[in-house]
Amino acid sequence: MKIGLEIHVQLPTRSKMFCSCPTTDAPAPNYHVCPVCLGMPGAKPVLNRQAMVYGIMLAKMLGCTVADTTWFSRKTYFYPDMSKSVQITQYDHPIGEKGVVYLGAKKKPIRITRIHLEEDPGKTKRTADHFALVDYNRSGIPLAEIVTEPDLATPAEAREFLGQLIQDIRHTIDLPEDGERSIRCDCNISVGRERVEVKNVTGMKNAERALTYEMIRQTKILKAGGKIERETRAFDETRGITYTARKKEFEADYGYIDEPDLGIFHIGELASTIRIKESPANMAARIADQYGIDQKAAKQLVSTSVELASFFEDVAKQYGTENAVKWVGGPVTANWKTMTEAGRSPRPVLDIIGRFAKGEITDTEAGIKIKSAMTGVDAKAAAQSSGDLDNLIKGFLDENPGIVDDYRKNEKAANRVIGFVLKQTGGKYTSAEVVDAAKRLISERL
Amino acid sequence: MIGEEALPRLKEINSKYQMFRAMTDDKDIGDSKFLFSAKDNLTSMDMETCSGSKILEGYHPVFDATPIANMRKAGGKLIGKTNMDEFGFGTFSTNSAFGIPRNPFDTNRSCGGSSGGSACAAAVIEDHVSIGVSTGGSVACPASFCGTYGIVPTYGRVSRYGLIDYGNSLDKPGLLSVDPKKLREYLPVISGKDPHDATSMCQPDLDLNSDRIKSVAVPKQALEGVSDDVTKAFNDALEILKGSGIDIEYVDMPELKYAMPAYYILATSEASTNLARYVGMRYGRQDGDMSKRFDDYFTEVRTGGFGVEAKRRILLGTYTRMEGFRDRYYAKALQVRLGVIEAYKKVFANHDAVLTPTMPFTSPKFSDIDKMTPVQNYQADFLTVPTNLSGTPHLNCPCGYDADGMPVGMQFVTDHWKENLLVNMAEDWDRMFEVRRAEVSL
Repeated sequence: MKIGLEIHVQLPTRSKMFCSCPTTDAPAPNYHVCPVCLGMPGAKPVLNRQAMVYGIMLAKMLGCTVADTTWFSRKTYFYPDMSKSVQITQYDHPIGEKGVVYLGAKKKPIRITRIHLEEDPGKTKRTADHFALVDYNRSGIPLAEIVTEPDLATPAEAREFLGQLIQDIRHTIDLPEDGERSIRCDCNISVGRERVEVKNVTGMKNAERALTYEMIRQTKILKAGGKIERETRAFDETRGITYTARKKEFEADYGYIDEPDLGIFHIGELASTIRIKESPANMAARIADQYGIDQKAAKQLVSTSVELASFFEDVAKQYGTENAVKWVGGPVTANWKTMTEAGRSPRPVLDIIGRFAKGEITDTEAGIKIKSAMTGVDAKAAAQSSGDLDNLIKGFLDENPGIVDDYRKNEKAANRVIGFVLKQTGGKYTSAEVVDAAKRLISERL
Repeated sequence: MIGEEALPRLKEINSKYQMFRAMTDDKDIGDSKFLFSAKDNLTSMDMETCSGSKILEGYHPVFDATPIANMRKAGGKLIGKTNMDEFGFGTFSTNSAFGIPRNPFDTNRSCGGSSGGSACAAAVIEDHVSIGVSTGGSVACPASFCGTYGIVPTYGRVSRYGLIDYGNSLDKPGLLSVDPKKLREYLPVISGKDPHDATSMCQPDLDLNSDRIKSVAVPKQALEGVSDDVTKAFNDALEILKGSGIDIEYVDMPELKYAMPAYYILATSEASTNLARYVGMRYGRQDGDMSKRFDDYFTEVRTGGFGVEAKRRILLGTYTRMEGFRDRYYAKALQVRLGVIEAYKKVFANHDAVLTPTMPFTSPKFSDIDKMTPVQNYQADFLTVPTNLSGTPHLNCPCGYDADGMPVGMQFVTDHWKENLLVNMAEDWDRMFEVRRAEVSL
């Protein structure tokens, strides 16, 4: 089975790609519109420089070769939500080509064919009486389209890839977290020889669902001796099924020509001045390598927060990896969310770990001080509270000594303790705290 | 004298010559300093703008085209939008969905096209300047047929914002007037960088200094297939130029003959995508049957809204960019364009300008135009197309009259951004040659 993806990402520019209409949510349909994004006769597109900058950043993130010269093309098709009946996209000279992304802990290479920029069309909304209403607020929002080679082997892998990619994209271009809404993809899947494309799937969960449905559908057809037809299908989110949208013989010929209104962009020099932040996936891989810790633990740090992972590195550099794993991997991770939500800095925590490392305070004291510094609960209460939690767990372990034995074979045995405590204390402690404490106390008995 | 006496008589004048699609109702000039008209493919907030097409009937733009806005800012009053071939598709302004402008020298003949109404207004109304638009010769041709000066500056010199697209890589606003001083006066007004048109942003400053054309190259290929009347008038003009001290040299420019096919491929390829937006939604005609599916709805609107020539060019342009044909036609035409630019640059290394007749014949009668095939029609542009393809500035000067008294024009082409040479040439020529005014009787 081969799976390839075409991923559309909305770029977080303040104005649209070819006009100065804002990209923020509009109070009413057809509110953030102007002659350019409505395609009025005589209006001309002018490129938003920031869209190009974001495109170059993503091209670099994907390890693509950034073009020295790039330009836009016209893709012609008649659809009411495309105001000019022409979409400005990139055809023969995209921003970036030939990249590669290393997926997950196994670092499986997924080749990137290309990345290009294009404008989003408006939205069509069907009414109950067979009419359709068009809203052009979205018309002209900048998109980056990322096309992969068919290097993904399973729907689950496709989802994992999308998850990693989305996180990396968010980090690289500071894309706000608005669920999975701003990511859409077209999924290409072939179980046999013929390729089927499922168009316009929103979010990674749906991508996996659509691909799984297709995998089963195509496998069934092949098993029954049938033939897969090359076609474009659509995905029905509610029913979780795909259905035929367009047969191959009706495959559109978009008649691409160059977009003369925008001209040619020599971006080599601009690209050479653009530096990108290390992507979360690369950061996780590097931390695992550099500090000799488990891939999974590194990924856990990064996916909690890139800042947490940076803090891990600070501690490791000053007080050694052992202390970093013990404290940052434990109570600091557990309280990180509370700390950031309260707007606190991890700076005092670094000092506390320092004092522990120098032997000035004990293990227990350090744990209490850290929690206090991060949550703002005073040290006495923190001590009391964490003492209570420890006592509760210790008592449960005393009554069920089998758990420790089970834990040696499978770490999931800790779930019994965790489940018990959460039920007993009903929201008093965060699950991260309970997990941390349970693992720590079980480990003491191993 | 600013031509204000024309205002109260505008309707009367128009009923005879049909140069205007839309006109002002104002009877006096108010605070304005001068009057001007503009081709109907330039958007204007106060006047319906249709680009000569039924499909845009009733369209009132929400913004002024930059050249019109700049003329207004300079104190100009827009008195009318001039008739034209639908979207600029034509050589005689006969492909207009509205009025067909009549030649001021003989109302049975064409004004040329596609800016025919602009040339007519420039020729008929006293002290007038009109903004035309050239894609493949649409300023030089009507200027030649109506005996006016017509200048088309370098591609990118005048903003195309608000110009209803025919071929975006070819479209260029220009000016027509019987008075060459008006070119000097108003070219700087309509020129300049405009952030709304990216292709206007890399121009050098327009400097109408005193540099003059000292040597002229006449391509031998440009004299083949030209009528005897035109050849004679052109040769007489060459003698006058020689007498004024300008060197004339005949040169070979074999590349010129490839300009025509390349032009029609690029122009129609771009046009067919530009016209895709006219689907009976958002603006213009929206009189289709709304109960139909979208595809059927817009097919109905487009079938009724576009004229024959528009449909022909959509089909041609769609064909030349189809998968499988794109490389053979569209991509090749792009290369030919570079070859034509190269050919001009070679000549400009040794000469200041390339000079040819503007049109191979004088204005034909409407009855003869009806008999022409589309290909004969396209071939009439073979002298104006190369300079439009290369984006070089060019100028039509009236240079003689045929046996029927119809004007003959010659066309100077200079290197990119050298409009100064053309403006000076027009003024110098006006002193050497007596330009006739059409007798306007009402």
